[in-house]
Amino acid sequence: MLHGVRGIYLREVLILRHKLLKTMLASAVSPALFLLAFGYGVGRSVQVAGSDYLSFLLPGLLTMTSMNQAYGIATEINISRFYFKVFEEYLLAPIKRWEIILGETCYGITKGFIPVLIIGLYSLLTGVSLNFGPLFLLSLLLHLTIFALFGFIAAMIVKNHADQATINAFLITPMMFLSGTFFPVEKMPLAIRVVASIFPLTYSTQLIRATLTPGAEVNYWLFAVLLLILGILFMIAKRIVTKVEI
Amino acid sequence: MSCAEVTSCNERPCEIEVVGLSRSFGKTVAVDRIDFRVGRGELFAFLGPNGAGKTTTINMLTGLLKPDNGKVLYHGELFDPKRLTVKQLIGVVPQHNNLDPELTAAENLLIHGRLFGMRGKQLQERIATCLNFADLTAKRDIQAGKLSGGMKRKLVIARALLHHPEVLFLDEPTVGLDPHSRRKMWAFLRRINQEQNCTVFLTTHYIEEADTLADRVLIIDQAKLVTGGTPEQLKAAVGNYVLDIYNEEEIQNEFFQTRPAALQRLEQLDTSVRIRETTLEDVFLKLTGKRIEP
Ligand SMILES: Nc1ncnc2c1ncn2[C@@H]1O[C@H](COP(=O)(O)OP(=O)(O)OP(=O)(O)O)[C@@H](O)[C@H]1O
Ligand SMILES: [Mg+2]
Repeated sequence: MLHGVRGIYLREVLILRHKLLKTMLASAVSPALFLLAFGYGVGRSVQVAGSDYLSFLLPGLLTMTSMNQAYGIATEINISRFYFKVFEEYLLAPIKRWEIILGETCYGITKGFIPVLIIGLYSLLTGVSLNFGPLFLLSLLLHLTIFALFGFIAAMIVKNHADQATINAFLITPMMFLSGTFFPVEKMPLAIRVVASIFPLTYSTQLIRATLTPGAEVNYWLFAVLLLILGILFMIAKRIVTKVEI
Repeated sequence: MSCAEVTSCNERPCEIEVVGLSRSFGKTVAVDRIDFRVGRGELFAFLGPNGAGKTTTINMLTGLLKPDNGKVLYHGELFDPKRLTVKQLIGVVPQHNNLDPELTAAENLLIHGRLFGMRGKQLQERIATCLNFADLTAKRDIQAGKLSGGMKRKLVIARALLHHPEVLFLDEPTVGLDPHSRRKMWAFLRRINQEQNCTVFLTTHYIEEADTLADRVLIIDQAKLVTGGTPEQLKAAVGNYVLDIYNEEEIQNEFFQTRPAALQRLEQLDTSVRIRETTLEDVFLKLTGKRIEP
């Protein structure tokens, strides 16, 4: 059962093994820079949304960097599809097309965990206490699944690397900054709040921040929202991958 | 060449039957209503120049592309790539070596085996057998990206054989190989055909490859079938002997069924003339008015 999912996941993990160190360093550097620039620049004395800014920022950095890693499978699928053409092997194998989605998504989730470990380390270093409990893990899983699916869909609809860069510039980067990762969405002008309300990252950041922050109130409806987004994305991915030709 | 001869399977049971197969990309017609059959255990060559439609045809036979029209049957049953059992029958060696360069030779086979539902000791043994068959045992732990061109090609073939396919499709198996490696590859492909009891369907634009290797050849040009049959049949159909008649600016060809007939004609000519046996290149030139290998 599911030999397609496991085969694809194994392939991705065998390849990740070769670049694990690079991936870890890459996911360590950018949050460190943001921490230095914003965290210490703005300082602990500033209160944001009822807590000090560093405690607000760290969960945001966690969602941003883990999103980047999970979504980042797009580039890798792209390379294996258009450059190495390994994707053909999946299409030729006696597996269901949705198994390809599942295998790649599992890989995106795996990659998304790497920055979580790093942010955990940073929270120790900065003395910000975060609550890595089961509710957090559940929200993280939904968050990573959503962005891995996003990455998969992006890789299926683009025709080349340039298209990929366009999606990054017009969708991923704005989402990174405007979804309440660095600043509360409520403080933004109306236009941005409207844009933010269509970004899934807004919801996952809100949920993950609440589950991470000790004593914060968790809005359980957000689980339903994320689950809904996940379901829609999976259906889109399935439609696309059923039609995809080499 | 009659139509019946083109489509016969040489009295073997029919493995693949193709009827009216067509595919376009926008305004480009890549494959235009082609029909043919491949017999079980045959070594079958699809010969045509660049852009003739060879890869597009293979892609439709293996389920990577959907035909616009026409159908493909395996063992008389309509080919539907959504039905997974039929995919177990098929092994594919694409035109480009689509290996994972960072994974070792053995790991490349491992992933393929897993995708085909193989596992455990049985898979490990099969990997060893296929590497051995392809003469790559010594390279099993070398990253695929670091192998030579010929070794990569063989590794892709070994990978395609891993799951015991009944039909092996090879898209230009010897492209990019030097003449010596090419000959070795031919011997290898013959062994696959005979020892692994595999039907072999290969595409090529090398005349000699089709001529020396294939039981039967199908010639395709500009999306359409030109002719088909055994190399001997194809040559006999235009004439087994040919005179190259050197005129002022060009070489004219005249075909003859027998050598004496050709010699008789040769004596009547007072220009420079050469007599030789007909090749598939001559067949192609006669039927399409141009050369395969420019
Ligand atoms: N994905 C595609 N999009 C647009 N046109 C295509 C596509 N694939 C093939 N074609 C066109 O279809 C025709 C047949 O291409 P195909 O690749 O099947 O030829 P071929 O016989 O394999 O050639 P070669 O020997 O160069 O590999 C060509 O004119 C090609 O430009
Ligand atoms: Mg081709």
